[in-house]
Amino acid sequence: MQDKKVRHKGRLAQIFIYLGKLFRMFIFQNDWKVLPMAAIIAGMVSFVLGSSLFKTMEGTKMGTFALTCVCIWNGFFNSIQVVCRERPIVKREHRSGLHISSYIAAHMIYQAFLCLSQTVIIILICKIVGVAFPEKSMFFEWSIIDIGISLFLITYSADMMALMVSSIVRSTTTAMTLMPFLLIFQLVFSGGFFNLPDNVLPISNITISKWGLTVLCSQGDYNSLPMVSIWNNMVKLKNVEIGGEKPIKDLLIEVEKEGYNEWIMKQCGNQNQDPKYAFSADIILNCWKYLILFTICYAMIAVIFLEFIDLDKR
Amino acid sequence: MEGMTVYLFTYGYRLLKEILLLIGYFMIFGKCGAKRYKAFIPFVKEYTLSLCADREKDGRAYTVFSGLQLIINVFAAFIPKESMFVRVLGVCDIILTVTLLVYGIRIYLGLAEVFKRSKKWVVLFILFEGVICLIWGFSSKFVPYKKIDSISKNSGAAVSGVSADTISSGLSVNITYRRVIDFFRKRYLLKDIHLNIPKGHLVLLLGGSGAGKTTFVNAVTGYEKANADIRLDERDIYKDYKNMKYDVGFVPQQDLMRENDTVLLTLQDAASLRLPSDISFRNRKGRISEVLDIFGLTAIKSSLVEKLSGGQKKRLSIAMEYISNPTLFILDEPDSGLDGVVARNLFEKLREIANTGKIVIVITHTPDRVIDLFDDVIVLAKDRSRTGRLAFYGPVKEAYDFFQKKSMEEILLSINQQDEGGEGRADEFVEKYAELLKRKVG
Repeated sequence: MQDKKVRHKGRLAQIFIYLGKLFRMFIFQNDWKVLPMAAIIAGMVSFVLGSSLFKTMEGTKMGTFALTCVCIWNGFFNSIQVVCRERPIVKREHRSGLHISSYIAAHMIYQAFLCLSQTVIIILICKIVGVAFPEKSMFFEWSIIDIGISLFLITYSADMMALMVSSIVRSTTTAMTLMPFLLIFQLVFSGGFFNLPDNVLPISNITISKWGLTVLCSQGDYNSLPMVSIWNNMVKLKNVEIGGEKPIKDLLIEVEKEGYNEWIMKQCGNQNQDPKYAFSADIILNCWKYLILFTICYAMIAVIFLEFIDLDKR
Repeated sequence: MEGMTVYLFTYGYRLLKEILLLIGYFMIFGKCGAKRYKAFIPFVKEYTLSLCADREKDGRAYTVFSGLQLIINVFAAFIPKESMFVRVLGVCDIILTVTLLVYGIRIYLGLAEVFKRSKKWVVLFILFEGVICLIWGFSSKFVPYKKIDSISKNSGAAVSGVSADTISSGLSVNITYRRVIDFFRKRYLLKDIHLNIPKGHLVLLLGGSGAGKTTFVNAVTGYEKANADIRLDERDIYKDYKNMKYDVGFVPQQDLMRENDTVLLTLQDAASLRLPSDISFRNRKGRISEVLDIFGLTAIKSSLVEKLSGGQKKRLSIAMEYISNPTLFILDEPDSGLDGVVARNLFEKLREIANTGKIVIVITHTPDRVIDLFDDVIVLAKDRSRTGRLAFYGPVKEAYDFFQKKSMEEILLSINQQDEGGEGRADEFVEKYAELLKRKVG
């Protein structure tokens, strides 16, 4: 009896094999299309919301929420089908010695490349459209890099969540059915844009959107911005007549003539400070920490579920 | 007072419905051949009803969702009513109720089919479940055309009680049984399979649907372990699965490859996974071009997989496994979707591989067109307990004599169950072969 101890490619080597496959798919299998898609979505959002982004409180909240949604959308679309569409192939390869951890690690590296590319594209598009990025930055010389890191982490975290879903479900149809639910959950439970009841608020802690919105508002120095909604509402009331006169219109003209309108908006902003959006390194790092934590958790869950791929029905 | 009346009416109605259901199920189970006492066990009764309706899968789902609903209701009872969590549970409860309704409809549709009644009865079942169950249970007009397969009652064909001696060069298979626990029930998928396959043999694995061909292959390769002793050249496959899986090539029925890779890259990646890591780049390259040549893929090595014909894809799929030069090579219907000439060429290639000292086992549903290429045939059959059993193993010519048939298709027909259009003689041949084996062993 001969005892053969033959070594085969280990986990690290397998990562490179799969990275090669994934980058080939990027070129040949239309995976590259997620990049122009990111540009189109970023373009649409920045055209609509870009003018007031990082300029007013309302515009910043709305714009950063929209940017967070764009990132989550991109992340979801990048990987929602990547595993489930080739599940039988993965099962065959697992039988032939594939390490699931290597397979997911290869996906993580490849998806990081996609997310990074999409982040660069979003920032470029925002620049082209004329979004004024904040002048103040926390960690790097240019605020664009700080914000870029946040956009990347939001996209990547969403991407890993979709990768996890793709590893759990067994068909692309199921994955695509689940995706809108996940997206709606992220949007509704972000806790920043829609007011949630107090007892539901803790749920927002497990959403990518909450930490994404918080970090972007914080980096945009939300609390230092003017609040324009009260002024805009007063403008809407300018034609209200009291005793045959239009006192609100008269007041607005007077305020504008004296140059107090911006002061009023600024005061309004000062009275509406939100401590969770303060321009603080702690807040930004905390948000990044959560996004990275989510990413790691999702990837681990993906590996755990995919390890059971042999149990798939024939 | 009014509230009390409503309360009594509601709970009285529920109680009455449950009593009617119990009696109805009790009687229906009797008609279907199920154990009547199961009508008194929550969850089990719904599952048993699904068995009566020949909707086992739906019954499983129904039972699981019922269990979930019960858990939710128990939780809800212990949580303060004003809590938000109760509302969330309420939403879950509604979702589960809708799901249960759908699965309930499916089960009752199945019941209507089994009792050969109009599907309109399902509406009545939904509206007046208790009363209708009672009618179906008691009325002699409602009789199922088939009863539950009582697997546990059937012991199946007799076992041989012998085992195959381990051979020094080749594959020794001694499967005592392969069992699964499926929704609280033990099911034997394979039992009493003992054989030795020498190297250099091309073996046909024949069997009807559900006879356990794939289960057998998975058990032999160690992919799904059975209660068995499987040895390849005296090496225990189960004990040394980590290393030996590279010495066993399994080609699945479907061509599971990435369509947008080229033939060469597909093979290169397969080589990277399957070949030992210490093999030199030159040797690996040499092995890849050798395999490309063997399977006639050299001319199309730069083509994308999606551009290949069915035969070419199949050859590539086989090449992916053959790259590691396995001793045991198993193919699941490699000729599916291929025309006669292409299939013949493929089997000739497999014959050549076997001639190099490999063991090649092939599952195919159209063996007669290439039967001259095979050395031996393994015939698996479902016995009366629906367990995969060995009905024959030996040279092709002896198989014809054993079954008294002139072709493999005729053999297959003779062992297939009668409800599958066969002769239903599986047990007879399983027992005959067991006797033959006993005599051989002495």
